[in-house]
Amino acid sequence: MGAFATLASVYNTPVATHGDVDLTDSKTTTGSRALNQFLASVELRAFKIAQAALRHEHDALDAVQDAMLQLARAYANRPAEEWRPLFYRILENRIRDMQRRRTVRARIMAWLPGQRDEDDEEPFDPMSQAQSEEVTPVRRLELDEAMAELEKALHDLPNRQRQAFLLRNLEGLDVAEVAAAMGCSEGSVKTHHFRALKALRARLGEFAT
Amino acid sequence: MSGGDEELSGFEKRTRAVLKESVTRIDARIRSRLNQARHAALAELEQPARRPFWRSFALAPAAGVVAAVVLAVVLWAPRPGQILPGSEGTASAVEDLDLVADGETFDLIEQEDGGFYEWAVAQADAGQAATS
Repeated sequence: MGAFATLASVYNTPVATHGDVDLTDSKTTTGSRALNQFLASVELRAFKIAQAALRHEHDALDAVQDAMLQLARAYANRPAEEWRPLFYRILENRIRDMQRRRTVRARIMAWLPGQRDEDDEEPFDPMSQAQSEEVTPVRRLELDEAMAELEKALHDLPNRQRQAFLLRNLEGLDVAEVAAAMGCSEGSVKTHHFRALKALRARLGEFAT
Repeated sequence: MSGGDEELSGFEKRTRAVLKESVTRIDARIRSRLNQARHAALAELEQPARRPFWRSFALAPAAGVVAAVVLAVVLWAPRPGQILPGSEGTASAVEDLDLVADGETFDLIEQEDGGFYEWAVAQADAGQAATS
């Protein structure tokens, strides 16, 4: 039995939404406090979505930070109910920009033999060794394998399929919210989501028996 | 619901579980970076809105505009008694032209200074008589 199937029985209980990071500044206004709560509620999942698309930790962090800044600058005065689809729309645009830039950079680098992309190597940070939860080594290994398989499969999906799948299954948006975030019809969302599921099943199906 | 649909939803449930677990296992370094990014975004929110470059001119304080006008007047207007370059003979020439063109001036000479001319002629005649 593969790692993906092993984890199936372990994670039937829903995972609580994290709220571990809180901003307790007395000067913070009510509006910024609401925005802070919203950003704190989505930042980890947004990072995972960006990482699945970009497969690069630093770029994923940059994309999330840019999306946060743009939301604060341009849409902080909008009703809080609109923040989630707006935020993910901004994030997806940022991810797409980074993918395009990366493509251009790769073409340029191909013309320069012997050049190395410095962004591929990050300095060692001891904080990276700290884990947020206590897990046994075996479970951690299984988790790592399952996540690696799933993340690689997600990365190989077309952008729109991956976006629809992650917004539905990771962020938990309904079809209408995903449509607003993706800027397309609900029918298109259903189609992208269905195709993503089909592709993932075809790839990971052997682990799900 | 068909068996295929149930199998599909089971697969979807598993993927959701793995994805959510992966979120909870994001390490402290990434969490710290995201926290910093959030604070930066909120700091941006606290700052007053920046005006575009051109709007800063349109909404310049009136006092500044008045001060600029006064300064321009002070710099360009001639000081009292100052003769601007190239204007030395211009004023007197205009005055001469006025004198020539003004018929009243000759009338005044004839009416008020007629005695002077008579005296001058008498003096001239007396001088000639003394020398002869």
